[in-house]
Amino acid sequence: MDADTAIGGHGDHFPSTQLSLLEATASGLSSDALDRVITIYWKPVYRFIRLKFHKKNEDAKDLTQGFFATALERDFFTRFDPDKASFRTYLRMAVERFAANQYAAANRQKRGGDTEFETVGEQAVPTESPEQVFEREWQRQLFCLALDDLRAHSERCSKQLEFQIFQAYDLAEGERPSYAELASQYGVPETSVTNYLAWARRMMRSFVMERLRGTTAGWRELRDEMRRVWS
Amino acid sequence: MELGDSVLDHLRRVAALPDLSGTRYELEGEIGRGGMGIVYAARDRVLNRRVALKVLDLTPAGEAQLIAALEHPAIVPVYEAGTLPDGREFYAMKLIRGARLDHYLAAQPTLAERLRLIWRIGEAVAYAHSHGVIHRDLKPQNVMVGEFGEVYVMDWGVEAIAGTPAFRAPEVLLDQRSDIYALGALLRFLLPKPTPPALAAIADKAMSADPAARYPEVPALLAEIERFEQGMAVEAWPEPLWHRLRRFASRNAVLLWLLAAYTFAKFLIFFLRKF
Repeated sequence: MDADTAIGGHGDHFPSTQLSLLEATASGLSSDALDRVITIYWKPVYRFIRLKFHKKNEDAKDLTQGFFATALERDFFTRFDPDKASFRTYLRMAVERFAANQYAAANRQKRGGDTEFETVGEQAVPTESPEQVFEREWQRQLFCLALDDLRAHSERCSKQLEFQIFQAYDLAEGERPSYAELASQYGVPETSVTNYLAWARRMMRSFVMERLRGTTAGWRELRDEMRRVWS
Repeated sequence: MELGDSVLDHLRRVAALPDLSGTRYELEGEIGRGGMGIVYAARDRVLNRRVALKVLDLTPAGEAQLIAALEHPAIVPVYEAGTLPDGREFYAMKLIRGARLDHYLAAQPTLAERLRLIWRIGEAVAYAHSHGVIHRDLKPQNVMVGEFGEVYVMDWGVEAIAGTPAFRAPEVLLDQRSDIYALGALLRFLLPKPTPPALAAIADKAMSADPAARYPEVPALLAEIERFEQGMAVEAWPEPLWHRLRRFASRNAVLLWLLAAYTFAKFLIFFLRKF
């Protein structure tokens, strides 16, 4: 399986063309709101398409781009009805329909002989369904963005030490250091480690909530989505 | 920033934990999830006792104030309410030691005990209704049976939530009659098999799809159950003649035995005199 795109990671959450595309599209939503939606959902949509439709990296990227472009053209986001489903579910189902239509259209062209046959990517059988992967990527993206927010906020508030301790503990892969070890490493009392972690987690939580608030319609959907985010 | 699965899971877990810094409580662990938030076991450091701490997801209308206004033996008392440093509202309440209703039934209690439970639940709901409060989400998971047999109705709703299909009334707008529907569903849930037909009929009436066909208020439902317990006819069930006779015999067993003994004695005396 070819490697996933870096889009959505490393701080570049979606291609800059998406922003200009958003700005150029007349819709009922503000450019900021669309920006928030695409920032969170680009990567989950891309991963979902890759797994569900066995697409290669570039094909999945094109389909993802195509989906958001079509969604903007057709006022997809403004037709969302929060009484019927969460925005996340609405969007995933729309992606599924869109990709299936694209697949059917490509097959029609194939029969005409003017298009290459689509190759199914040699992907390892995933342990999770594409729908589960979509949700997991959505959670991952939310936390990635919230951590970016937290880092920026720490710098603005001169709380880099708090962020460093949080990073050393909560973002550690594998075994986590003890509070005593962190206290010794950073030259602060152990109680400060507890307080710094509490502060950073509190802020991270509020940034996740803020990001969620931007892509949900009302407090009830926000509450339900938060419940899906917190384990 | 890239996050691996294990770090993501860790962040999801720690972000959900309530921030109790600056409060008198020390977190022990999660004990349940209700309609509006998560309930944790915590230790009150000042009074050195364990409490249940409900942390609300968001900040809707004051659930704590609503419950605190209900002083009833079957409604968990609220000790304190406040806001956590992370902005979430919480309230501390008595930590109930016991079993959830659905777990309690695994011990196969008697019919009389099952009816006692529905009575206690009904009394709490009737009391709340008299104060203008409806529960909205009555179900076995929201009822606790304490270690001394006391019954607690938990998770009083302030906002209509999805509810549990088997216990939720079909109407969109929930009111007191919706609680009566849920009480009927609870009664049906509590009854053993085979179910006495009179009790099944009471549950069915309480669970009528049309709210107007249900009992008009909780005391009317409880009165029906009481009539059953006293061996009287219930309004919900048009009783067959044979059942009425059997119930009459059951209620007047002593009288019937005395009558039979008297008749037998008279017959015996008559027989002895003749021969």
